[in-house]
Amino acid sequence: MACLTDEKILACGEGDLNAIEASRIRDHLLVCRACRLADARYRNLNRSLSRPVFSEPPAGMIPQIMQRLYPALPRYTSIIAAIAASLVFLITWIYVYFDFSRSSLVQALRLTADGTSGWLANIIKAISTVYNAAQAAYKAANALLNALLPAPMGTALLTGSVLAFSGLLAFLLLGPRRKRAHAEKS
Amino acid sequence: MIVDEDQVLIKRTLRGERKAYEELMRKYEKKIFSFVIRMVRNEDVAVDLTQDFFFKVYTVMDKYNFEYKFSTWAYRICYNLVIDHIRKNQAQVDSLDDESVSPHSLLASENVSKEDGFKNMAREETRDYVWQVVDQIPLKFRELILMRYIQDLKYEEIAEITSLPVGTVKNRIFKAKEILKKEMEKDGMLDG
Repeated sequence: MACLTDEKILACGEGDLNAIEASRIRDHLLVCRACRLADARYRNLNRSLSRPVFSEPPAGMIPQIMQRLYPALPRYTSIIAAIAASLVFLITWIYVYFDFSRSSLVQALRLTADGTSGWLANIIKAISTVYNAAQAAYKAANALLNALLPAPMGTALLTGSVLAFSGLLAFLLLGPRRKRAHAEKS
Repeated sequence: MIVDEDQVLIKRTLRGERKAYEELMRKYEKKIFSFVIRMVRNEDVAVDLTQDFFFKVYTVMDKYNFEYKFSTWAYRICYNLVIDHIRKNQAQVDSLDDESVSPHSLLASENVSKEDGFKNMAREETRDYVWQVVDQIPLKFRELILMRYIQDLKYEEIAEITSLPVGTVKNRIFKAKEILKKEMEKDGMLDG
């Protein structure tokens, strides 16, 4: 029998040959030193390939994917803080926009509400309620500040509070987006 | 229909269980990353592609057909992602059909130690050397060796993933082994 081709040796090693062919090859290997050497080398190669060297992925890879797939939800306390900040912002905005000293717009709205139908009247009433609450809160805060502090200090304190709450609101709204953008970038 | 462990994890993921998908990723991350890094030969790119792969699997998971093996389906997605990347960045990776690259010369250029004593190297070192040579063989052979041994796939599964006939897959793997054997013989690495 002529010497074996590499393909035959490999096929025999993989168990791809029928019993007769495999038996012939085994017989040949017993008598042919060159083919036996080639067979041994392929066995050695197969042994090395069968125990692959795996590469370790970076440890932070899966947490990063998880963050990308499931962006973190805001915590309970953050939601409450956001609502509180929004309320403060809204009240301040109403005070500035509607001009508490004259109240012309709200008064006009109230007058309009008398002559309008259901849903619009309800909206106007709701705005009036918010306005009244804001006005009351403002008056109470102002009275408290006037009693405790000189006027310039009260104004500075109020401005500071508004700025702090606005900053907190911006941080809460933009924070998760910034984190996501950072995760995607990295 | 037999539901295997992977399919249970998929069902749990589809129900919204985060932990299930994390478990599935942990199971496959090493095999996927090892395959990708040996295909693209760049760690940063491999990390990006592996992340893209897991992201893609998650987004198309609702289209997975439970009659098929998850691993074959997932490896096909992985293979397509990597091949797309390689085609777009052809200049950085050797051509799909480039057989002119000599693994021996590439290893030499990377200063892989070839001092005396190779013949006495322990099996572990032989194995490491074999896998270094695998990294240098042409892509069309390398991808099949990686699927066969890193991802532990059968010829039929590789054929399904690569859309090649089973005969071609077998021939290419045989050819790859011939190349590897020749390169190892040059260094007397397979006589141990």
